[in-house]
Amino acid sequence: MVDASRHPKVDVRTFTEVERVEGFVGNFKVQLRQKSRYVYADRCNGCGECADVCPIEVPNYFELSLAPRRAIDVAMSQSVPLVYNVDMDACIECYKCVEACGELDAIHFGMEDQLAWEDIGSIVVATGFDHFDPTVMSEYGYGRFPNVITSIEMERLNNSTGPTGGDLIRPSDGEAPERLAIINCVGSRDKRFNPSCSNFCCMYAIKNAVLLKQTYPDMELSVYYIDIRTPSKGYEEFYNRAREMGIRFIQGRPGLITEDPDTGNLFVESEDRDLGRVIEREYDMVMLNQAAVPQPDVDSVSSVLNITQSPGGWFMEYHPKLRPLDTPTDGVFLAGACQGPKDIPSSVAQGSGAAARAGRVLHADEWEIEPVIAAVWEDRCISAQGKKCGLCVQACPYGAIEYEEGKAPDIITAKCHGCGGCVAECPHNAMTQLHFTDAQILAQMQTLLADKPEQKILAFRCHWCSYGGADLAGVSHFEYSSNERGLRVMCSARLDADFIYEAFRLGAGAVLFSGCHPQDCHYITGQRVGARRAERLLKRFERMGMTPGRFRVEWISAAEGDKYARVINEMQEVLDSMTQEELLEEIEEFRPEMARRARRMRQVPLVEEASDLAKEIAEVQRAREPAAV
Amino acid sequence: MADHSSKIQTFADQVRAIPGGEHLEMCYSCGTCVSKCMIQQKVEPEYNPRRLLHLVIMDMRDEAFKSPTTWLCSACDLCYPACPQEIHISDVIGAVKQLAVEAGYESPLETVSVNESLCSGCGICVMSCPYEAPHLVEKEVDGLMDRFSEVDPNGCMGCGICVAACPMGAISRPGVSNEEVRAQLDVPRRNGAPRLVAFVCDWCLRADADVTLLDNSPENVQVVHIPCTGRIDPEMALMALGSGVDGVLVCGCAPGECHYQRGTTVSSCKIGLLNRALEQMNMGDGRVRFVQIGTQDRGRIRSEIDHMMDHLVAWKEAV
Repeated sequence: MVDASRHPKVDVRTFTEVERVEGFVGNFKVQLRQKSRYVYADRCNGCGECADVCPIEVPNYFELSLAPRRAIDVAMSQSVPLVYNVDMDACIECYKCVEACGELDAIHFGMEDQLAWEDIGSIVVATGFDHFDPTVMSEYGYGRFPNVITSIEMERLNNSTGPTGGDLIRPSDGEAPERLAIINCVGSRDKRFNPSCSNFCCMYAIKNAVLLKQTYPDMELSVYYIDIRTPSKGYEEFYNRAREMGIRFIQGRPGLITEDPDTGNLFVESEDRDLGRVIEREYDMVMLNQAAVPQPDVDSVSSVLNITQSPGGWFMEYHPKLRPLDTPTDGVFLAGACQGPKDIPSSVAQGSGAAARAGRVLHADEWEIEPVIAAVWEDRCISAQGKKCGLCVQACPYGAIEYEEGKAPDIITAKCHGCGGCVAECPHNAMTQLHFTDAQILAQMQTLLADKPEQKILAFRCHWCSYGGADLAGVSHFEYSSNERGLRVMCSARLDADFIYEAFRLGAGAVLFSGCHPQDCHYITGQRVGARRAERLLKRFERMGMTPGRFRVEWISAAEGDKYARVINEMQEVLDSMTQEELLEEIEEFRPEMARRARRMRQVPLVEEASDLAKEIAEVQRAREPAAV
Repeated sequence: MADHSSKIQTFADQVRAIPGGEHLEMCYSCGTCVSKCMIQQKVEPEYNPRRLLHLVIMDMRDEAFKSPTTWLCSACDLCYPACPQEIHISDVIGAVKQLAVEAGYESPLETVSVNESLCSGCGICVMSCPYEAPHLVEKEVDGLMDRFSEVDPNGCMGCGICVAACPMGAISRPGVSNEEVRAQLDVPRRNGAPRLVAFVCDWCLRADADVTLLDNSPENVQVVHIPCTGRIDPEMALMALGSGVDGVLVCGCAPGECHYQRGTTVSSCKIGLLNRALEQMNMGDGRVRFVQIGTQDRGRIRSEIDHMMDHLVAWKEAV
């Protein structure tokens, strides 16, 4: 950290928050809030005389309230930069520190937060993780029994710069513990709190046990665990070493800790799975190895940077295998535990990778994007004719559409990822998606439904999930009806209701509307845009009296080949349950209504028009952003 | 493609099909349920809910039906809130038990019995039972139809709540009948110190130290073990006071932790009413006390007895 702060090309901003982010990859504008320290960083030399005279003591956040700090102090002795700051909630403004500071004149109580805009090329998010608070698990008595401590409290107690100078003592009476239990999976692998495994705690428990055993060879150390997970290089060897040192590993998650009210000793009750019975053992101290949880402010960081979260609140990578460091917003990268709990080696590896990815942006003169972006025909847009609209803006998950009333929307091509949600939302055919124009999709539909359409199941699949699911069904040799005809779009958001009406008008037997599961969507909220539309369609067809199952909405991930096959087979069963005459009769019955609803499909621009538009856009882009990225 | 619909129903499928029997395959054998449960520690070393779940998953039907776990679980649900996989274990065990009963197995537990010559068919036992074991049946006696209570031996867990509730004294449970309890109320008088009867439920004391404390009866304290404080009849406390004992202490589980679901709640109401009645008779001097001991209240029984003894000493001096 000190090295980084001294590097001529590294600018470390501590005590600073990102307020707003605008712009796009390579050209971000970021508003930073430098929070007020009430001490001038350029004048303070870190001598600490102010803290010596400060009469106010408050709990020390860094020491987890195991020790006090002064109202003017540094967060920790290794703070970078070594600048004191004033806790204004506690300060009584006695000005003793100002006197002590003397000629340096670094302390100024009138200081305010500074807001500034900066030009930034790329952004790496490395906000880390937080710890689960075990107070809510009453069975372990944390917060009631003083000798039950968390792993981070242990970290401070066993640290030479910690509040006890490195002496491990019991909080209840200051005695050195002779018997210590470590309990794993406190709040992790637990559906009540965090269903996932926190990844590093097994190794962390072993590390702590080994460290303590080295310092206190006579200490009786037990580690309670559900499973010990040592998946990386050298980890199993370390686990073996811990066992060789005499550390006891007990397979069984304790259900209860009780305290002897006289001695403060703790009794841990757990099943020993190897013995198959419950054992109750007495310890002087118990350390709870808590789960890693996302930082409390992940939601605001997500919305400021326009990045997504996985279930549980961790930031989501663009693709779990192929682009693990990227986010859905180009130019924003992830490093470390903010993306998911991980240990130091993995965090360092990911950090190095993210830095390299970010550097790639900084060194590029031009930035290549997917060619499937959206485009606008100004002469068709009703907003350009002075009417109120803006539906496209609402559909865009990336904020790539700039819209002003009375004008046609402006698409920032560098921000557009090509989901096509805006294209499908536009009620006037004023938008198109290059390479996925209405005309192209229509032509595919017409071809697929050219012959005996009533026997066909037309399946609209999104590129990232359900198309992958269909692909997997194929390579896994899951048999499904050969009447299925697949049609690929980038995202279910692209699926215009008109396509569905047109498919039925063309006489399709059944239509599948498929896409990603909501949490898997490649385009942040694209699936939700599509799902809303699909729900409306389902209701409308139900009201019209269509046989249930002829139009079906399913969310199928790329791993669910079996589900894809099952859904198609079920749709085939629906068709088989009707006689040919019944089916044809129903198709004919609805054809006029479908034709009325799909009337705009008659007016879609030709494919050539779209390619002319693409050329135009390229020219405009070149003219407008000569120095862009 | 494999056709899943025609799959032979396994034992696990059968358990899963019973409401409450779902999710059993989510168990990852952490052992929390076992460590929470009192039965293995107090009654049956072979008792183990985690293993029962595994017997079901492994399709070991007969072993599961014979397992003490199937029969001894009283659905106290200490384990359920602690289970990290949120498996409602007592429901799963209940499902196994239901299948076992259907297969003709019988509960090995000591259950209550109804004396039909005393039963009036009032149905209070039906309302009081946490396990829906008693039900009313109509039978012909001497040519007349009459109603009687009948207890399902596979449902009864033997808590004795109905024994205390029955106004006719028609229900009895071996070991804790009124006569057997009365016989234990004789506290030998030693020096001038007050004498105390402590009714202690079988489940509220977890710690070995607390159990041994009672085994070596403290001086002038007569300990009466009962399966559940729900078995306490206010009459029992009055009987004790009537026989010359100075105070009565009733120890049960904390609310929500009762081994028989609601015994402790029932008895807290009963003792509360008794105390109010004693107050009206000018006897409300704290000589009958009800304490609820939670799973984490290690050592509390000792302080409660000391506290009660101090109170009785003060009371004696005042009298």
